Amino acid sequence: METVSSSKPFTRASSISRRFSYAFIGVVTLILLLFAATAIFVNSARINAELEKRLDNALKLSYISLPAPLWNLDNDIVDDFVQALFLDESIVFAEVLWGGQVISRRVRGKFQQKDASYFEQSSQFIVKTSDILYEGNKVGTMRLVMSRERVKKELIVTISVIITLTIFIIAAIALTSLVITKRYISRPLLKLQESASLIAHGDLDTFVDKSSSDEIGILADHLDVMRGSIKQLFGELSESKEKLEEYSRTLERKVEARTQELARSVEELKALGEVSQAVSSTLDLEKVLATIVAHAVELSGTDSGAIHEFDETTEQFQLRATHRTSQELIQAIQESPINLGEASLGRAGINREAVQVADILEEPNYPHREIMKRDGLRALLAVPLLREDKLIGGLVVRRKAPGKFTRETVELLQNFATQSALAIQNARLFREIEEKGRELEIASKHKSEFLANMSHELRTPLNAILGYTELILDNIYGDVPEKIQEVLERLQDNGRHLLGLINQVLDLSKIEAGRLTLSLNDYSMREVVQTVFTAAEPLAAEKNLALKVTVPSDLEPGKGDEQRIAQVLLNLVGNAIKFTEEGEVKVEVTASDGMFLVSVSDTGPGLSEADQEKIFEEFHQADSSSTREKGGTGLGLSIAKRIIEMHGGRIWVESSLGKGSTFRFTLPVRVEPQREQR
Amino acid sequence: MSKRILVVEDQEDNRRILRDLLTNAGYEVIEAVTGEEGVSSAVSHRPDLILMDLQLPVLDGYEATRRIKADPALSKIPIIAVSSYALNGDDIKALEAGCDAYISKPFSPRELLAKMHEHLP
Repeated sequence: METVSSSKPFTRASSISRRFSYAFIGVVTLILLLFAATAIFVNSARINAELEKRLDNALKLSYISLPAPLWNLDNDIVDDFVQALFLDESIVFAEVLWGGQVISRRVRGKFQQKDASYFEQSSQFIVKTSDILYEGNKVGTMRLVMSRERVKKELIVTISVIITLTIFIIAAIALTSLVITKRYISRPLLKLQESASLIAHGDLDTFVDKSSSDEIGILADHLDVMRGSIKQLFGELSESKEKLEEYSRTLERKVEARTQELARSVEELKALGEVSQAVSSTLDLEKVLATIVAHAVELSGTDSGAIHEFDETTEQFQLRATHRTSQELIQAIQESPINLGEASLGRAGINREAVQVADILEEPNYPHREIMKRDGLRALLAVPLLREDKLIGGLVVRRKAPGKFTRETVELLQNFATQSALAIQNARLFREIEEKGRELEIASKHKSEFLANMSHELRTPLNAILGYTELILDNIYGDVPEKIQEVLERLQDNGRHLLGLINQVLDLSKIEAGRLTLSLNDYSMREVVQTVFTAAEPLAAEKNLALKVTVPSDLEPGKGDEQRIAQVLLNLVGNAIKFTEEGEVKVEVTASDGMFLVSVSDTGPGLSEADQEKIFEEFHQADSSSTREKGGTGLGLSIAKRIIEMHGGRIWVESSLGKGSTFRFTLPVRVEPQREQR
Repeated sequence: MSKRILVVEDQEDNRRILRDLLTNAGYEVIEAVTGEEGVSSAVSHRPDLILMDLQLPVLDGYEATRRIKADPALSKIPIIAVSSYALNGDDIKALEAGCDAYISKPFSPRELLAKMHEHLP
């Protein structure tokens, strides 16, 4: 309220009446001066006229009185007459002339030395000259001078009177106006000003004095109305100010609450982030659940907590993790786990929703009630852990303060419950995977062992058969008849074929089990081709096929598993010879961009497109009848493909029926160790 | 005097094949069926060379080799490992155990005789 006026107070309270008086006096003075001027002008004119008339009269008198004496030359009478004229004090000079001769002259004392011309030149005087006639004859000239001094004197008197009068009038007027303005204008105005000042200073309760009935009264009236309006406005203003303040306070409270809420949300998010990180980064279930329950207790502002896993077979909750729980309570829960439907946890499990107990003291039969009572725990909140509507466990928090848990707390715990459920499920899945992995590992080990054993078991008798056969053929047991020798050779061939089959099956099994490792060493591709040529040449020669080899002499040294590469090439060349009846088998090697390109072409029957696709699959030959006819397992190409791919190369066939086949493979010149395993 | 060869082999057929082959080639053959027997035969007979099967029951060929090689009196005797195992690493394991050479079954008689010649004193 005191904030309204910062303007200066009204200090020159009487200035209006003073100004008003000045103006009034000014106007009156002006009017009076005009009046005085008019009066002086009129007066001086009148006196002038009167003087002239007096002069004329004197002249007229001389017309009447002087002719006779002049005619008679009676100078004394003329003198007397002139003297008589001087009774009029205004006449200062009188002269009667006749024919240039002064008959009579009279001059007032102070003009003694002056002559007629002096008077004629001065405006101070009226000079009149008139001829005096006696029966039509000029008997003399009369010259009269009248001083205007009297006029001046009279004028001065008049002006003095007027001025005095004016001063009096002005004084009177000023006084009156002062009194009047003070009484009727200044004072009410001052009052108004005071009221206005009061209003300006915030006093809106003092009524404005509106006793005068004139304009000022109206003004006061208006001022009072204004005061009322301002007062009302102020009321409204302060009311809205209060409202505003209240609103601001509410807003502040809301902002504060929201900030707290936000801070809590951030905390929650942080905790949930940590929890989900724990869930995803560690599969140590106990550790994850301990992290979750710790965060759940800290964030929900409770005093103790636990996570239980639900065992479907016993329908009991097994304790998995605790936070700030007394040893006694842990032991008690472990000894008698909570059953489904029992306590808040069991009920939460059945209802599939959060269950709370505001005060366990009011629940006489609550499980472990006495221990919790001793620990000072009163309120309980249990949230079920659900995964796709399947009960997995429960999260329990305990609080020392009795009472209901807020909706936020329940929601928070539900979040933690979701994470816990996820963690438990992850751990279960992991356990399952681990178990499966172990089983698989065992199975794989069994398989490897089986294969090793089988190869041993299969090969031991086979080795004996081949050994005896060889010894017999070497005539160690005596000379062998030629017929028997031929059969023994067939026996030896079939035995070796069988051994080859066993070895290939074993190779493939090893590759599939990931147990085949490449031993990477420097090798010469030229030498590999030479080795293969040496091994295959007799077979080609046997069938009258030309085996041609083209290898540049400047091939750079390769790095790879020489034996396996030779195995692949020998397989390709062996196949080519096996399936070609006439013509040639050609081996060609080139190198570019760090890759060897090896091709084996034949003039054999060729392959249909369908067969080209399937030829690298296990147990597949172009024509199944050919397997029996030509021998071979159909595993060679599939093993070749695996070996080439392990080296980081590629193998394919280009062929068409009746036009022979070309098998090609690429192979990195230098195979880096990380590429050896696929 | 003919060279004395100790054959440690549990398979009768294999033993017989080796015996027939080596006898025919003019060697004196001593046979052992188990690993322990192989070690004790090595001590008692002081062979010029030992053909050691790796897959032996109870005391396997690796262990028998290690024991023989650990005996300063026997450590000079060359041992050729004979195996039908085709799994990777058998040869390396055999050499690590102290074998001087490795031959995989089936072997041709001539191949074996050549390898023995290489290692006989």
